[in-house]
Amino acid sequence: MSNATRPPFDPNSVASAQRAARHHILVIDDEQPILDLLQEYLTAFGYRVTTASNAQEAKRLVEQEAPRLIITDLQLEDTDGLQLIEQLRVLLPHTPVILLTGVLFDSQVVEENLKWKISSYISKTAPLQTLLDEIRRLISG
Amino acid sequence: MSTDPGTPPPQDNRTFQRVLIFFVLILAVMVAIVVATLSNLNRSIATSDWVNHTHALITELDALQPSLAAAEGDLSRYLLTADPRDHSAYQEKFADLGERVAVITALIANAPGEQQQFTPIASLLARRAELASRIANLKKAGDSAALQQLLGDETIRSEQRDLQRRVEKMRETQTSLLTERDRASFQQAQTTRWTALGGVVFEFLLLCGAAWLIRDDLAMRRQAARLLEQTNEQLEAKVRQRTAELTASNEKLVTQNLEDRWAKQALEHQNRYNLLIIDSISDAVFVVTKLMNVSRMNPAAVHLTGCEPATLIDKPIAAFLRLEATAGSATPGFDPLVRTLIEGHELRQQAALLTNKSGATIPCRLNVFPLRDRDKVVGGVVVLQALSSS
Repeated sequence: MSNATRPPFDPNSVASAQRAARHHILVIDDEQPILDLLQEYLTAFGYRVTTASNAQEAKRLVEQEAPRLIITDLQLEDTDGLQLIEQLRVLLPHTPVILLTGVLFDSQVVEENLKWKISSYISKTAPLQTLLDEIRRLISG
Repeated sequence: MSTDPGTPPPQDNRTFQRVLIFFVLILAVMVAIVVATLSNLNRSIATSDWVNHTHALITELDALQPSLAAAEGDLSRYLLTADPRDHSAYQEKFADLGERVAVITALIANAPGEQQQFTPIASLLARRAELASRIANLKKAGDSAALQQLLGDETIRSEQRDLQRRVEKMRETQTSLLTERDRASFQQAQTTRWTALGGVVFEFLLLCGAAWLIRDDLAMRRQAARLLEQTNEQLEAKVRQRTAELTASNEKLVTQNLEDRWAKQALEHQNRYNLLIIDSISDAVFVVTKLMNVSRMNPAAVHLTGCEPATLIDKPIAAFLRLEATAGSATPGFDPLVRTLIEGHELRQQAALLTNKSGATIPCRLNVFPLRDRDKVVGGVVVLQALSSS
């Protein structure tokens, strides 16, 4: 599912940032540096990002304001990411979810076994541009 | 384009100097015209005074002979009538004549040439007056013989002609001077006219020149302003372009920096995760080089050997591990363990003996897996499962 070919830098990123303006993205990860980096990156492209470091916080944030898209890690402190996704699906059945994890999955396995749970799977080893492209694709779709 | 704001450009200076020169010339010509005109005007006034004066002199000269004739006519009538009224009349006429002489004398007071001409005339007139007085006295005395003799004197007629000739000559002289002065005055007026006209034309040409210079300068300034405007526009466009490039470049750098940080983060995470997997295995795992030297070991391996990694890293695994089948062999160079990786095949479920830190021998089940990188064996993984604790 992840796109290995990295597109060239978009010189109209300001315009694309304006187009992306104010789309709310919820990022869930138990590592604070990951959360900070993703928030910085996505904010630079015009997204409004809120972060949660555990499942409880994530559910609380979702109840407060429904995000346009959710990015979550697989391994969380208080629960499994896939389990959290199931719970969030109940609250937000139409919100796209990206599974962003460093746990090595075979993408074919993910495609076959997890596609009913998640919208997209991206390895943490993939460039951020891949994640951005996927966000754009899912939000515009 | 950089200009020192404190000093005007050289072209501005040159134009200003030229225009200034033109205006100085215009002023000089104007002053010259005024001076020449005033001078000619003064000369005209002087000429006019002189002409009036000369006309007055000619009028007086013209009146001399009629006055003399009138006086002598009254004297003749007195000689005929012996009427005292005629006597008074002739005296009065001679007094008038005397006044005219006095007027002429006054008119030529500052003219030596005229004085030279008029002095004989005045003398002749004085003699005529004196002669008239003598005639009147002889008449009054009744001396007819003396009177006849005096009247018949040829000298009297000769003086009469001389007087007439001198008066006419002086009048001609004055008339000729008047004509000459008239001509000079006309020429002077013409000169004044041409001076003024020439000056006006010259001024006009100078003004045209100044106007041309100013127009030329304005055109140059307009052109310079246009060039400056174009240059500014080009500069602004370049600045905008450069700013856009820098912004894009900066965005690219920021993005690149984030990508790099992300990659580093991912690498660390992945490394940590991999180690976690190895470290979480309960079997003793040794990562070895192709020659079976230990490069890494998990906590289970530490526990099994009783040695810290620092003491075993880079040491041959054969130093504390051997296959049970080769136990007691004196040729470790042919150790099947070493051959396993050199030959690139696996060993599975082999009985092995591990000697721990305290020297105890622990029987184990051994698996050896080669690590292949693009079909090339770069090392191996040795997994030991203790069959019983020592």
